[in-house]
Amino acid sequence: MANRQLTFSIFRYNPHTPEIKPRMQEYRLEELPGMTMFVALNKIREEQDPTLMFDFVCRAAICGSCAMLINGKPRLACKTLAKDLPARITMFPLPVFKLIGDLSVDTGTWFRHMSLKTEAWVHSNKQFDPAKPEDRMDNETALKIYEAERCIECGCCIAGCATANIREDFLGAAGINRIARFMVDPRDERTGEQYFEIMGTEEGAFGCVGLMACDDNCPMQLPLQMQLAFVRRKMAAVGWKYKPQAV
Amino acid sequence: MATQQKLLTRNPRADMLVDLLELFSGLFLVGFLWTHMFFVGVIYFGANIFDRFSIFLDKYYLSYIGIAAVILVFLTHLVVAGRRIPNRYREQKIVWRHARMIGHTDTWIWVFQTITGMAILILGSIHVWAVTSGWPIRAMISAGRMTHFLWFYALLLIISEYHAGFGLYRQFVKWGWFNRHSVGAVLKTISVIIVLIGVGIMWVLLRLGGAR
Repeated sequence: MANRQLTFSIFRYNPHTPEIKPRMQEYRLEELPGMTMFVALNKIREEQDPTLMFDFVCRAAICGSCAMLINGKPRLACKTLAKDLPARITMFPLPVFKLIGDLSVDTGTWFRHMSLKTEAWVHSNKQFDPAKPEDRMDNETALKIYEAERCIECGCCIAGCATANIREDFLGAAGINRIARFMVDPRDERTGEQYFEIMGTEEGAFGCVGLMACDDNCPMQLPLQMQLAFVRRKMAAVGWKYKPQAV
Repeated sequence: MATQQKLLTRNPRADMLVDLLELFSGLFLVGFLWTHMFFVGVIYFGANIFDRFSIFLDKYYLSYIGIAAVILVFLTHLVVAGRRIPNRYREQKIVWRHARMIGHTDTWIWVFQTITGMAILILGSIHVWAVTSGWPIRAMISAGRMTHFLWFYALLLIISEYHAGFGLYRQFVKWGWFNRHSVGAVLKTISVIIVLIGVGIMWVLLRLGGAR
């Protein structure tokens, strides 16, 4: 059986050459067995158009660099097989994030802002003693933390979120999942009120409308609905009793 | 951005309270809508019992208190749930483009949630005005309304049940007590049953109106 001829319709725009307007460009490629979008894009770049911009590093769904809209859905190029797609494939860069060019976006700046905003590090006043053995953590807690930490920061949840698309300050599933990770960590000494200051707002848990495009499109299949609900419930419980100090 | 306006007007609990108000006003309205359906459903037992039930509600001022409370909660819900609607032209363009592009069922459901919400504002207001200006509620008066405004009521029935069913679904999703796919299936079933009860009521009222 002859291999399918695939047609790629790819978004082209380079912010450094604004005189060339954004456009869709078509490429044709023969499908190969087991071909991923990552392989296809590299073939196009090598054989047809060396100016095509897109990101990848690990080609194994670990680094999160190659996220893009494939036929409208946020996907990792390296994890998306041609055989699961129709013969005509459109590719757009992820929305929300700053466009570097063509399919390449800067997710780093967004995720750095999110990390700083959520203060994504363990807050502890304990004096570190390198000679002492570490405190033990029960396995269940460790697994909960690990589950949230599986996030590869690809940005698919943010690109898929209608709220994040219209509201720049919304921290989205990635941000709320990040906070959930620290909430279950017994080493983090932050109080409920401290978490509430970050997450008990429209930028955090209460900004979510519940469309679950994050949950449905997460390439790592993180349990995002349950993480969002966990933080929302926790924030409501804290916020109900919270007495903020007057200015 | 910490501008002085934002610092001085900041209330850390405001977003949560508004969100909870959206939840509780919504729950109240869903409760009302379903109760309303069972109340109107008394027509199944005959015009006479329907009228007596209506007189009973009037006698203890339950209908007056009920209608006033529902209008108040309705307006509250309009404001607090309405804040979610992308109201700028640019936001509208993004949302429609996003919904078309991503082809995601729940996103489309929400787009229609905002549309049905606005439609209920208009159609619901007309309905409340029609009922209160044609006071009291009696089977023959209702039958007359149904005969003249059949399509209006058919539309109002479907969009309000759609809005209530998916609104409830959305809250279950956000608070996450249950798996959302099973919650969705249960709520769809309930909504279909309520719509069927409603269609039955409309049929009974139409026959009543035609027999006049």
